[in-house]
Amino acid sequence: MRHVSRRQFLATTATGLAGILATRTPPAVGQVREISYLCWNNFAPNSDKKLAEIGPRFTKDTGIKIKIDHIAHAQQAAKYASEVQSQAGHDLVEMRMHFPWLYETQLVDLSDVTAELEKKYGKILASAEETAKVKGVWRAVPQYHLPFVAAYREDLFKKASLKVPDTWEDLYTVGKELKKMGNPVGIPIAQNYDSISTAGPVLWSNGGLEIDKDGKTVKINSPATEHTIEWYKKMYRDCMEPEVLSWTDASNNNSIVAGKAGWIHNPLSAYLTARNRKMVTADGINHHRSLGGPQGRHETDVPRHIGIWKFSKNVDASKEWIRYLLGKQEVYDEYIMSGDAFLLPVFDKLSDHAVLRTDPKFAALKAEGVQFHTYGWPAPPSDKVQRITNEFILPNMIAKAVTGTPTKEAVAWAEKEMKRIIAG
Amino acid sequence: MAIGNVRVEPAAPRAGLRVRELLDHERFLGPAFVTPALLLLVLLVAYPFCMAVWFALSNSFIGRPSHFIGLQNFVTLWGSDSFRQTFQNAFVFTGIAVLFKVVLGITLALLLNEQLWFKRMIRGAVLLPWVIPTALSTLGWWWMFNSLYSVVNWSGIALGIMDPPGPNWLGQKYYAMSAVIAVNVWRGLPFFAITILAGLVSIPKELYEASEADGAGPAARFWHITLPLLKPVLAIVVLFSTIFTFSDFNIVYVLTNGGPINSTHLFATLTRQVGLESGQIGQGAAISLYLFPVLAMVVWVQLRFVRRQQY
Amino acid sequence: MAVRRQPLVRKVLLHLGLLPFLLFAVFPFYHMTLTSLKTDRELYDRASVPLVISQGPTLEHYQKLLWESAFLTWTKNSLMVTVIATTVSVVIGTIAAYALARMKFVGVGAFGTGIFVTYLVPTSLLFLPLAQVVHWVGLADSKWSLVLTYPTFLVPFCTWLLMGYFRTVPKEVEECAMVDGATRLQALWRIVLPMAIPGLVCAVLFAFTLSWNEFIYALTFTSSSEEITASVGVTSELIRGDIYFWGQLMAGAVLGSVPIVILYVFFLDYYVSGLTAGAVK
Repeated sequence: MRHVSRRQFLATTATGLAGILATRTPPAVGQVREISYLCWNNFAPNSDKKLAEIGPRFTKDTGIKIKIDHIAHAQQAAKYASEVQSQAGHDLVEMRMHFPWLYETQLVDLSDVTAELEKKYGKILASAEETAKVKGVWRAVPQYHLPFVAAYREDLFKKASLKVPDTWEDLYTVGKELKKMGNPVGIPIAQNYDSISTAGPVLWSNGGLEIDKDGKTVKINSPATEHTIEWYKKMYRDCMEPEVLSWTDASNNNSIVAGKAGWIHNPLSAYLTARNRKMVTADGINHHRSLGGPQGRHETDVPRHIGIWKFSKNVDASKEWIRYLLGKQEVYDEYIMSGDAFLLPVFDKLSDHAVLRTDPKFAALKAEGVQFHTYGWPAPPSDKVQRITNEFILPNMIAKAVTGTPTKEAVAWAEKEMKRIIAG
Repeated sequence: MAIGNVRVEPAAPRAGLRVRELLDHERFLGPAFVTPALLLLVLLVAYPFCMAVWFALSNSFIGRPSHFIGLQNFVTLWGSDSFRQTFQNAFVFTGIAVLFKVVLGITLALLLNEQLWFKRMIRGAVLLPWVIPTALSTLGWWWMFNSLYSVVNWSGIALGIMDPPGPNWLGQKYYAMSAVIAVNVWRGLPFFAITILAGLVSIPKELYEASEADGAGPAARFWHITLPLLKPVLAIVVLFSTIFTFSDFNIVYVLTNGGPINSTHLFATLTRQVGLESGQIGQGAAISLYLFPVLAMVVWVQLRFVRRQQY
Repeated sequence: MAVRRQPLVRKVLLHLGLLPFLLFAVFPFYHMTLTSLKTDRELYDRASVPLVISQGPTLEHYQKLLWESAFLTWTKNSLMVTVIATTVSVVIGTIAAYALARMKFVGVGAFGTGIFVTYLVPTSLLFLPLAQVVHWVGLADSKWSLVLTYPTFLVPFCTWLLMGYFRTVPKEVEECAMVDGATRLQALWRIVLPMAIPGLVCAVLFAFTLSWNEFIYALTFTSSSEEITASVGVTSELIRGDIYFWGQLMAGAVLGSVPIVILYVFFLDYYVSGLTAGAVK
């Protein structure tokens, strides 16, 4: 071995370092990149456990260390605001629904990653695209979605020889019988998100909408809206009980699981709760495809995405995580399977996923012919449209109407409120 | 009484010099001792308070630059249904809750003032709601008021005073306010009772004996001796409780989060919803500053009429 | 009260009169504990009696809480924050209280009033701007932000409480010591503090309780599962969407109160005297 003098050694090292610093590329060997991912407390707890397993595998396969933190669903908004304020925090963040719009200027353009995924798995679901693609640029990569679906007491339906409804009008017909049996329909008309989640589809399937595609024109005052309100009025009168006016998001779950409600509109959580807690009603609950109306079959959806903050110093490494978790089909499949069908793939070619076959009650989630949207569709989810959602104007309008306010007056009120918010 | 070990300095100086040394010490030591507290309070109370005022006068929004807009936030708030409702809620909530706490507090204090069996256990049980973390004990009440499984409703139906299924406590307008007041009274009653008890104990027994000798019955003794002599204690307790009830956050946040339809929102919870969850910091700060007039009034009353101690 | 024999009937009636108050005070805890021991099946059964356990008690909620949620982390956070904040606040409060109770210097009156006023400024007024301050010092979403901000309401209370206790120590004792050659500091450390130990214990207890109990700052300044305190964790992480894990929620409420209950059982008299000292003095 040639003897290397200290001076020579230092000179070479210095040149080497200078070279590295000049080009800013770390040498291939010996550089450990570290990223952090802020994820929500998944409604399906097993998903979190699966994520914790996938993390180390990712590190082994790519050499990038990843730290996965969790945060409660209700705390996410405050946490994002805080990270944005301090321009420091995690590299990757899990975001739900329209949040990419709220933080558009802070999120990295992920059109490249999304294009790769679409090439592999087919087109991304409309509701996910509407919420993650802001003004033509993908600000986050959709990973899965939490669709609403109809949950009903199949055993009671069979006992009374009721037909499984296919339209909202059908629901009224069976609803009357259900109420007579003591198992009324449970659709909330209160200041909670479940109320909007049902009112939306009913309105859309009648051809109605709140704000138009341009995000500015208030279109709530229409015959479709009045038709929707009339439907709600007769549902409230003949198929439901007054308690729905004071329900929270958990109330409809509790009602069907406890054996009271005969039909609710909810994500899979109600059935899963009954099944996992071994409740008496678990066997009797089943799901059917989302209901339709004269203007199509529309359904509320909750898509969830992964975004990368612009202030991250590890954007490329972060993209690798997304490519690994979602891009590698085995990993993605495993991740989806751990979710108990709570969270389904957002890609066209994967819509008939194996997870739907793990329980016969999941069959309806295949959702053939169902169009998924998020709150406020077809208006893009801007600040102002979100305010309309967060102020519960749609459910308030319906609540007014079912408790005595004349339909036209209720609609006029909603129009006035929406105009006020759009005007700022 | 032990004096303790004191190091004796050799050759103590003359008395005059000694006194001056002491005073010098005080003038230096005094401020030195209060400086940490002063620093803490200036940097983390006074300064944020000024910031709150600045926010309220600006259009501050999370993640965006802010500009001075004068009193516009305060004006806009009055146009908001939720704010007007909150304003009303705060006074209704505080008024009714404090009233209940005063009446029940005096009653309980009178009972506790007697010679009792299991005195320590009773006092312990009475004080428990005040000691346990409010957010956690409110969780217990949340379950007690749950729309489907409420033990309150179950008991009411079992006793025949309610029709099934019983009210939806947390989902209906006036019931929700009653529920929130009930929890606040439950939590605050120990404070009233124990403090008033201390006041009762300090009333000289001779006064009662003298008036009894004069033929006064228990009611008269209460009205003419007990109550007037309790006034200073009551004043303090009521003033404190007013501030803490008016600015309450924990109970409303956990139990109803301001609902249903803003009927239980207080300034604190509305500030969080508008300032943090919606990101409108300017408006949020303006809402929270509505606490200030009541605070200022209470402080003023306390300083003028109640505190007679000199520093 | 008048010194005369209390007839038995009157005594019994008295205790009966106390009963509703006692039930009112204690029932929620009984119910909470009971619920935490019920099986899910019984818990969600509308036909079951809520006042007793009829389908057999279970520890599954406690197990799930301890082993499957981050409850232990939250409790560790609460403990750390509370111990440090209490220590810091009692020290700062002690020296401030001593200065205000014993010394004369420029601004002593104003400062005394200032402390009192600060105690009355509610945390719900300050939490929004303090959130910004916490950001600026780089402590956003960290439990250290709580260690920094808790003293703002603990110090005024401790100062105020201790002022009252220091005043009960006779001035002569100190002056004697100082004439004998002790410095102020020595007098404080060796004479006054030992005599004010009940006050110090009270201050520590109350600071601990108020700190453990605190909610709005903890909720606002911390949000990740690793940094939040017990109260925030139990109230926000045991609700996933529209699924409420009631059994675990009640178990969390019970366990989250345990440290305070332990202190309370051993130091009940200090709590009582602290409450009265605070308001009456």
